[in-house]
Amino acid sequence: MPPLNPLRPADEFPAGASDPPDAIGRRDFLRLAGASAALAGLSGCGPPAKTLAPYVVQPESIIPGKAAYYATAMPWEGYARGLVAEAHEGRPTKLEGNPEAAESLGATDAQTQASVLSLYDPDRSRSPRRGGFPASWDAFEAEWGARRQALAAKGGAGLALLAEPTTSPTFRREMRRLLERLPRARWYQHTALARYDRNGRQADAAVGEADLIFAIGSDFLISHPAALRYARDFARRRRSRGGARANRLYVAEAALTVTGSMADHRLPILPGRLAALLAAIDGGETAGLPAAEREFASRLRADLARHGGRALCLAGPEQEGHVQEWAAKCNARSGSARLAWDGPALRSDADPGSAGGLRELAGALEAGEVSDLVILGCNPVYTGAPGADFAERLADAAFTVHLGSYADETGVLCGWHLPESHYLEAWGDLLGYGGQALIQQPLIDPLYSSRSAAEMVRFLADGMAAPGYDLVRETWRAAAGKDFEGRWAGWLNRGVVDDGTRLPAPPVSAAGGRPEQAAPAGGGLTLLFRPDPNLGDGRWSNNAWLQELPRPFTTLVWDNAACLSPDLAGRLGVREGDVIELSCGGRRISAPVALARGQADGCVVVHFGGGRTAAGGVGNGRGFDAYRLRPGEGVWRAEGLEIRPTGAWQRLVFTQHHFAMDGRDLARWTEPGGRAAPAEPDRGSLFPPWPRPGHAWAMSIDLASCIGCNACVAACQAENNIPVVGPEEAFRGREMHWIRIARYFEGEGSGLRVAALPLPCMHCENAPCELVCPVGATVHSSEGLNQMIYNRCVGTRYCSNNCPYKVRRFNFFDYRAPADSPVHLQQNPNVTVRQRGVMEKCTYCVQRIDEARIAAEVAGRALRDGDIRTACQQACPAEAIVFGDLADPQSAVSRRKREEGDYGLLTDLNTRPRTTYLPKLSNPAPLA
Amino acid sequence: MNPASPIDEPVYDHALDLAGVDEGISRVPLQAPHKRLWLAGFAVAFLGVCSLFSGVAWLLFRGIGTWGIDIPVAWGFAIVNFVWWIGIGHAGTFISAFLLLLHQSWRTSINRFTEAMTLFAVACAALFPLLHLGRPQYFYWLLPYPDTMGLWPQFRSPLVWDVFAVSTYFMVSLVFWYAGLLPDLATMRDRAGPRWKRRAYGLLALGWRGDARHWVHYERMYVVLAGLATPLVISVHSIVGLDFAAAQLPGWHSTIFPPYFVGGAIFSGFAMVLTLVIPLRKVYRLEGFITDRHLDLMAKVMMTTGWVVAYGYFAEAFTAWWSRDQFEMFSQTNRLLGPYARFFWIMLICNVGVPQLLWCARLRRNVPFLFVASLLVNLGMWLERYVIVVTSLHRDFMPSSWGWYRGTRVDWAVFVGTLGLFLALLFLFVRLLPAISMTEMKMLVTRKGKVQ
Repeated sequence: MPPLNPLRPADEFPAGASDPPDAIGRRDFLRLAGASAALAGLSGCGPPAKTLAPYVVQPESIIPGKAAYYATAMPWEGYARGLVAEAHEGRPTKLEGNPEAAESLGATDAQTQASVLSLYDPDRSRSPRRGGFPASWDAFEAEWGARRQALAAKGGAGLALLAEPTTSPTFRREMRRLLERLPRARWYQHTALARYDRNGRQADAAVGEADLIFAIGSDFLISHPAALRYARDFARRRRSRGGARANRLYVAEAALTVTGSMADHRLPILPGRLAALLAAIDGGETAGLPAAEREFASRLRADLARHGGRALCLAGPEQEGHVQEWAAKCNARSGSARLAWDGPALRSDADPGSAGGLRELAGALEAGEVSDLVILGCNPVYTGAPGADFAERLADAAFTVHLGSYADETGVLCGWHLPESHYLEAWGDLLGYGGQALIQQPLIDPLYSSRSAAEMVRFLADGMAAPGYDLVRETWRAAAGKDFEGRWAGWLNRGVVDDGTRLPAPPVSAAGGRPEQAAPAGGGLTLLFRPDPNLGDGRWSNNAWLQELPRPFTTLVWDNAACLSPDLAGRLGVREGDVIELSCGGRRISAPVALARGQADGCVVVHFGGGRTAAGGVGNGRGFDAYRLRPGEGVWRAEGLEIRPTGAWQRLVFTQHHFAMDGRDLARWTEPGGRAAPAEPDRGSLFPPWPRPGHAWAMSIDLASCIGCNACVAACQAENNIPVVGPEEAFRGREMHWIRIARYFEGEGSGLRVAALPLPCMHCENAPCELVCPVGATVHSSEGLNQMIYNRCVGTRYCSNNCPYKVRRFNFFDYRAPADSPVHLQQNPNVTVRQRGVMEKCTYCVQRIDEARIAAEVAGRALRDGDIRTACQQACPAEAIVFGDLADPQSAVSRRKREEGDYGLLTDLNTRPRTTYLPKLSNPAPLA
Repeated sequence: MNPASPIDEPVYDHALDLAGVDEGISRVPLQAPHKRLWLAGFAVAFLGVCSLFSGVAWLLFRGIGTWGIDIPVAWGFAIVNFVWWIGIGHAGTFISAFLLLLHQSWRTSINRFTEAMTLFAVACAALFPLLHLGRPQYFYWLLPYPDTMGLWPQFRSPLVWDVFAVSTYFMVSLVFWYAGLLPDLATMRDRAGPRWKRRAYGLLALGWRGDARHWVHYERMYVVLAGLATPLVISVHSIVGLDFAAAQLPGWHSTIFPPYFVGGAIFSGFAMVLTLVIPLRKVYRLEGFITDRHLDLMAKVMMTTGWVVAYGYFAEAFTAWWSRDQFEMFSQTNRLLGPYARFFWIMLICNVGVPQLLWCARLRRNVPFLFVASLLVNLGMWLERYVIVVTSLHRDFMPSSWGWYRGTRVDWAVFVGTLGLFLALLFLFVRLLPAISMTEMKMLVTRKGKVQ
């Protein structure tokens, strides 16, 4: 970058001289970022601007401290999650769901929240590499130009592309275009995660319409492309005082999932026993079944009959064919197409132009049919099953290229590694699970010299780069017909293509679909593979927020483990943390044991995402690599698992250690029409009440709706600049989350009840913390906020000791990232970054309250209910959290708090918490 | 000043005359017997001081996270040590002021030494509230000073009361100790050999000449200071007790805490006096001044206050049980049977079991036994504070936030460091100043002569 000011002589030691070549220094980046955001909606992002102008005249749209919002979309297993991204001075800082997007409805999940951190990950790949050494795009373009000519002469024979399945119309159009130009090139697709299509169709459902839902190994509330919609629909039928509208959820699953934790009747069952159970539900023989299964089957059978057309069966995408078919048959029998239907397969793994998966590619490589291999945005060396031996097969191709955000396990083995743009840096488009098209609008110019997959495909085909902006517009210009520019502006504004514009339906191959899993044979235990609840297939392994986010039911952080039911662990004589050797099908790995309540005996669950070797500084070497045991791509179960204790022990870090309520009145349950506990009497006070004019901020959390998905925790972390502390500190109990989700278990087996209790600050009216602070660093606002004055805090930690809810967090060390780390760019400028030695805690997002207040004052109106939404509330897919003004009797929060059953935690202490709860709903079937 | 002790047994060797008193006591700082032993002991203590400095340096450099504290156990060694040291600091003023007002003449032989012990213990204690702050550089925000922004401490917080209680106690104890030293410093000035020593003692003696008016003022002031110091003995540890009692944590929130803490403080203070006096009188042959009868009396005080402490334990458990409050009851059960139960039971043996042996008169005169018993009581009282602080915090209201605690190497370095500092200061004191009040001993001898 030339000196920006020509009057200033070139520095002897210029800033950024120590940066790797081709990277953009922080200062340059900030200038670029500012300029790019100003132009983001107008001109798109091509290659970085060659001329830079200082802020002689401040761009109208950029006001320091004031956020700008742009609609965009994030790929989630290839499908769209519609987002509204918040940007400060041109840098994206926070993601919210786009209320216009049918699949997010304004909500987000934890991974989406954390994805903004990955944009600023210092370990991201910053420049092309050739053979491991820094190179440039020019060098790659030159080399590819020569190879492309040779390939073109053969019609593309020998060229193989491996990409992740996606719904992106532009990517698929580019891919088809490439295949037209180089007809003998092959397009392979690989994902370690489930397919959502079967015979060219993908199942969808109206969860909110069903009175009875039977989920068979389906974690549809969190682990599904439509999970946010499903969770919203489900929770709307699941209010604490739902009355007759309350739905009923049956779950049969091997390991406890978020969905299972919401069940009214839950049966832990091995996948191998499902067939017998389903037959029994159909009216078959029940005599041979164990009592729990028999009871579950007969109860469900009666209930299904009772509900007729209002019953819905959902089979998880990991389930085998017969389960899928049974669910489809059951839905057909209930006869309501309104409840369940099959839509067209939207993802490209159903595309007839696809030449297959990783196994087919490995075969082609071994047969010497591939000379040039281009891997786009996936990491098959890590996520491929060991049977394919993909790392060795890579050497069979003469020319290998990897496009990825990280120089990961695949990137380091390929001849060329090229940086891929983050989704917030690149133009694109995606389809939601229901088929709604969304435009993926970048918030920022690429931080490093990177390209998107679609741009890369265009370049591979033509040998000439074209900006992603043009590619996306090309796709949509054809579909829009008249007035493209006007429509385009509207789409960008709302983030969704909602004016009836339709692209031609992508071709769908009726055959194939989900790889059929032969029912594995063999005795021994069952081994189940699952994507990690936080890290997915391993793509988020270098995301520190997700590493430190407690796994829903074990609260394990920074690691993965072999999950065993406590009974099985007892039988094997192993305890939590004991390292066991898992051997299955001739493969073996060692893994520490974690106890998983609610898991069927006789199975072990392992999660992907651990054991990375080239993920980056955060993800490397955390946990073990479960792919090493996986028999093949798309296989979710293996039988004949054997376990041998190794005698070793490994420290696992959990954020919660005690999961029983021990008779304490913390999480409450209620039943539809059940009597709520009597409201606590007002204990009064010897002192006259404080005069409280104006607003009275308060929160209500409906445990009946809360699915415990952790989205609020991640959203809070993103909004409030909450640092990660790392495994050592987390082990010491020093994690910093301002809102945590306490998990409590009651009962066992099919009688297990699970409560997720989100715990933000209670903002007690009689706050015990305020009384004991010697310097008045925590005080009450006139609007009822329990405020933390960081500047005044000397760090006695007495407030935390006296907080009965233990929601206060302390900066034992300086947990801020190093001063030169790009992650600072993520931080919310409206929230103080806390220094070492001060206490912090949930503020009810006071910065959002103030922002809304200022906006209302500027507009000359009073604050309205709903103007302020806390970060946790906004992220919540289940609408479990409501925040607002208690002084307004018509506000949503006041209405909620007037509902019967509203209760505060530990009100015996007369803390008078402003955060209160509605009890968890359980809606069991009446006894037949 | 003092009537004769009503007990027949003498509280000093009656063979001593006035010159013998001066000689026997001033010999230690002036002639420095057992130089090597002293040096060796001081070296060991100095190692402790080094440990303190390195621990504190690391703490200030890296932050409070180098300690074992966490959420929920946000207080750990620092508060345990603070309360322990403050408790030890109780015996001195109790002995010199309380017993003075109660006309216990036996206190004369030990009051000087125990007052010094008090000062040093409180100095050690005062380190911890400073060091345990997340931002120790702002400790002065706890003081009421005219801040430009009009900010004051938050007076409802017991920590602010602590600041006043401890600093007042330290100041009054210091003045009391120094005022009592004045005539002795003059004696030292008169007996010291080298000129510079006489100069130094002379300066410290503030021009004491033994004038009758000096004596009149001296005696008046001494009684007044004793009157001032006496309530402080009660208040300082009551307020330390309120640090806990004012919180609403089960296991802390108990009205028994202030008296129970005062009892415990005197208990541990006397234990520490025994621990220190037994080797001191042996090495410097002060048995004529600190007789077996002193040890016997101190053992009796220890036994009595041990019962106060035992009653405290009982009252806490009983109140919890009587309240039927599930959190209080759990807190007690967790103490007795939880993961830190072994500390509780060791504490109980040390603080309740061991003192019961002192019912036996023979054991009260058995010096080695008393020494071991006093060490055990010191240990027990440290554990008591550990049990109160840690077991209450680590499992409170919400099972989801339950945690654990363990001191780190830095915690130990600082704790052992204060032990070193304490001993080092005592070594210096014994080496430089008369460890027994010559003035008051001579008064005793004179008065006895008159009685005879």
